[in-house]
Amino acid sequence: MTEAFEDDLPQVAASEADLIATARALIAPQAFDVWAVLCRSRKLPPHFGETCAALLEDSLRQVWPALLRRGGTAPDRSGKRLWERHPLVALPHSAATARFLRWLTTTPFAAPPSAIETLPAMPLTLGDQVLVYLALDVAAGTPAQHTLAVQPFVRDAPLAWLGFAHLFDLAPAESMFDNLVHGPGAVVVEALAPEIARRWQAAELTKRALTSPTSLVNLGRAQDGTLRAFMAACDRRRRRDLALFVLDAAAPLLARDIAPMPPRLDPAAPLSVRTAARTGAGSLLRGVIRWSEWDQEHRGVRFIDDDYALAQQLLAKFERIGSAGVERTAQWLSELSALA
Amino acid sequence: MSRAIQVRVSESVVRTVHVEDGVHSPIEMLPVRARDRMAELLAAELEKLGFLRDGDKASRKDKDGIEITVDLANATVTVKLGADAKLAEEVELTARVGIENQQSTEANLRDDAQRELEARVAERTEALRREVTKRLEDKLGDLRKELDGAVGQATVAALTERAGQLGRIQEVAADEAGNVTIRVKV
Repeated sequence: MTEAFEDDLPQVAASEADLIATARALIAPQAFDVWAVLCRSRKLPPHFGETCAALLEDSLRQVWPALLRRGGTAPDRSGKRLWERHPLVALPHSAATARFLRWLTTTPFAAPPSAIETLPAMPLTLGDQVLVYLALDVAAGTPAQHTLAVQPFVRDAPLAWLGFAHLFDLAPAESMFDNLVHGPGAVVVEALAPEIARRWQAAELTKRALTSPTSLVNLGRAQDGTLRAFMAACDRRRRRDLALFVLDAAAPLLARDIAPMPPRLDPAAPLSVRTAARTGAGSLLRGVIRWSEWDQEHRGVRFIDDDYALAQQLLAKFERIGSAGVERTAQWLSELSALA
Repeated sequence: MSRAIQVRVSESVVRTVHVEDGVHSPIEMLPVRARDRMAELLAAELEKLGFLRDGDKASRKDKDGIEITVDLANATVTVKLGADAKLAEEVELTARVGIENQQSTEANLRDDAQRELEARVAERTEALRREVTKRLEDKLGDLRKELDGAVGQATVAALTERAGQLGRIQEVAADEAGNVTIRVKV
């Protein structure tokens, strides 16, 4: 009986099993020792077998459930959950997904960075981007996260910028986020919003411990560029609600008076760099100021206007910040950019 | 058996270096009057502090070399300080080698001497830059107070103008804390 059951199990080569395990570790990290999976290096054959491809497809079908477990499914005002508000269409994966999984499986992440093969940029579909996002997430707290973040492939994934801007050191392309503010991309962002907010909030706290002005300048550049480009994309598509994570990240910090002030930047650094670093530290605050400008516009939307219901919803969301929060934000920004 | 010799290489450099540091910061002014008018009022206050106006810019160069430029149109201030220095360095290196290695040793010593010279010049340039930064930092506190004062006076002037539009100004009084009371008869 047992033998018959085992005969029915799909059989793949050991190297293919590693590839499938890598995909599953991204989607369900709680079931794996992720660092062990990332540290092993397996030489892969040039092509997968059919069974391996089928198992991989089966694993990738679990991406939506994995995303829905990340906190962004709370009911809206009408009581509808994310999957009731939007159809969850299958996420498209391209050859880039296979290339990425191959690279993750063959790369020994414990090796020195110089020994790691660069993963070149490729056109990415939404499904490819989600895998990049999940990989950055599971690699958190390990050296693999930095290794991933410097890959051109990863830097071409808008979702990676949105979720992990603090890992980058330059500004993203202005039009990068257009595909994340409508259709399935917007649904993915909604699903990940609470997680993205938590990560942006944590990045704010790290600014208070940074002493290297250059690190802070780079961080500010990446965060400023990401927020500016993403919020502009949201504005163009009338999906300002997708940028609510900015308020979710900032509100608790404003309420507790936790400013992103770097207490002591390296005094040996030039004053120009230290000034730029302090200004850069205000990236999330500038997002809040942008939100306050939107809030003023929402107040002007009349009952007879098309966007009235949405404007009311966003007005309610902004109440957590309120005029006191905006005032405090402006004051912090002023302190960050002050002459001395 | 080869003959041992001493190879001595001497290199020197004289370089003129320029270092500069500075800050750029917004000037916060209450929008009591139109932006252009606020800029005019600020320019007038800055001129009292020795700034020279040139179009949308007001600038001053202090005796210590610090240049302050206020962009009136964009309400920003740039403070910078530069310094030039002529740096002279000399390095002499020696090594004892077999005579058959004279040429290669000399080339190596010359390379080492060049690197040493570059390192020394870079170190002295950085020291000069730090000195410039220190002088600038020492000045910024006073400068901020000075600019805050000018902005405050420009704001009072703007408020006085506004009050004048409401009625006849009877009295403008300032207390020690800097609070200004404008009494207007409407």
